[in-house]
Amino acid sequence: MSYDRAITVFSPDGHLFQVEYAQEAVKKGSTAVGVRGKNVVVLGVEKKTVAKLQDDRTVRKICALDDNVFMAFAGLTADARIVVNRARVECQSHRLTVEDPVTVEYITRFISSIKQRYTQSSGRRPFGISSLIVGFDFDGTPHLYQTDPSGTYHAWKANAIGRSAKTVREFLEKNYKEEHMESDTDTIKLAIRALLEVVQSGGKNIELAIMKRDESMKILVQEEIEEYVTAIEKEKEEAEKQKKKT
Amino acid sequence: MATFFGEVLSVYSRAVEEDDDDLDDENEDERIHREIEEKREVHIVWCPEVAQSLEDSGSNTLQCSDLIIAVGTNAAGFLSAYVLNTESWDAVGHVSLWNERSRGSSRQSIAPLPGEPACLFYRHRDNPAVLVCQSTCYIAEDQLFQWTEKVLGCLQKRGLSVMVLSDSPVAEYKTPDYLYGSAVPFLRSLKSSASKGQALCPALEQPNILTGLPAAVLSHCQVHQIPAVLYQCYTDVISPDSITMETYKPALLCLSKLVKLEPCLSADVLRKFAIITEAQSNLYT
Repeated sequence: MSYDRAITVFSPDGHLFQVEYAQEAVKKGSTAVGVRGKNVVVLGVEKKTVAKLQDDRTVRKICALDDNVFMAFAGLTADARIVVNRARVECQSHRLTVEDPVTVEYITRFISSIKQRYTQSSGRRPFGISSLIVGFDFDGTPHLYQTDPSGTYHAWKANAIGRSAKTVREFLEKNYKEEHMESDTDTIKLAIRALLEVVQSGGKNIELAIMKRDESMKILVQEEIEEYVTAIEKEKEEAEKQKKKT
Repeated sequence: MATFFGEVLSVYSRAVEEDDDDLDDENEDERIHREIEEKREVHIVWCPEVAQSLEDSGSNTLQCSDLIIAVGTNAAGFLSAYVLNTESWDAVGHVSLWNERSRGSSRQSIAPLPGEPACLFYRHRDNPAVLVCQSTCYIAEDQLFQWTEKVLGCLQKRGLSVMVLSDSPVAEYKTPDYLYGSAVPFLRSLKSSASKGQALCPALEQPNILTGLPAAVLSHCQVHQIPAVLYQCYTDVISPDSITMETYKPALLCLSKLVKLEPCLSADVLRKFAIITEAQSNLYT
């Protein structure tokens, strides 16, 4: 008997195949990376190639959920739109009810609960997206959370989702240094370097959004990204020169 | 029989069938069978030079040292990009067949339009014993045997060596281990027992099997003791994709011994053969 048709059926060895297949759908989306610094949170995404006649402002992987929270997703575009819309409504509802902006954990939990609900009702399939949610709570603490189609969420210092997530995560594990996270520039550079590992043709295929404490989300323009990329390449050259000397 | 309203209807008795009716039915069945068979027949249409060479040889066969068959859009795209892009290949024939999924043969004598699913043959100008076949149309199970017999029957068995490149979805690859994304796409090989020499990638593990045209060709080569090697590429994309096409590169090593190949291929040329649906597919972001 095939256990992968119905979402509400466990297989004999305990798998929910539809949920696991949904995680495969996530891997079809382009890479997104998130880094939590001390005073800044960064989300970088690999920009999709848009068709010539397509307005590229409408192809966005990074969405603001509120003034203090924003997210990037990987996977099915339409599913992401639904999740983002519901999260945005919830953020405003929270503000009106509690008179405080949401904490990053709250909205992450909300999104994850929606996703989990869809893994337990019949006739509906799970959401095929994973998301990286970043922001600052009103007490100033930065957060980075990752959700996946099964409805689980965890906090991370740095993580990646999407196509080459494994490669990027290994890069982050090797290169993440706690002391560098004090500097905004180094945090941003780490995100860009992680993306450059897997993005073809460099800086022009990268989109980056940052948020500093008590400021709203800022999407970097192409020139700013190119500046960082140039600086990174220079550092790489110097590191290699050093290596050759020793 | 008498009905309730009093009229009398004459009905045919089902117990006794008149002989004439029997014959008609059988003939009709036979006729229908024959029509279907004719419709589903596999025809190879060669260009005039090749048709002439076939006639001139006593056995209606072509002299061929190497036959390379590409089954699937990525395998065909790989050959188009890396092998057939030099100007030294001539289109020498095509196979026309009809089945529920390939309705091509309404225009039997006319060659298929570029981009249409089809089965095309190319021959190298400087080395006419090298034949390439690109098969992107669906060939039904009942037509596979005919296709193989007719195509391989046109070639002399002596000195013939066959290489098959074929695409397959990785979802059909059975393995006890979980395949991480970075492993896909990958190649697996199968050889006929007459094939000496190393395959350039690991052999296809059990319980995986081949089906369709690659299986038919390899079985034929095994039965007729023709050295044949098959490279199956497992990929997770459904449309032609440049990364999948590049996975076939190890096969170039064999091919470069036969014909002169383009030394280095720019990514742009490859991208031309990969379908533009990449940009238009907004399903995944």
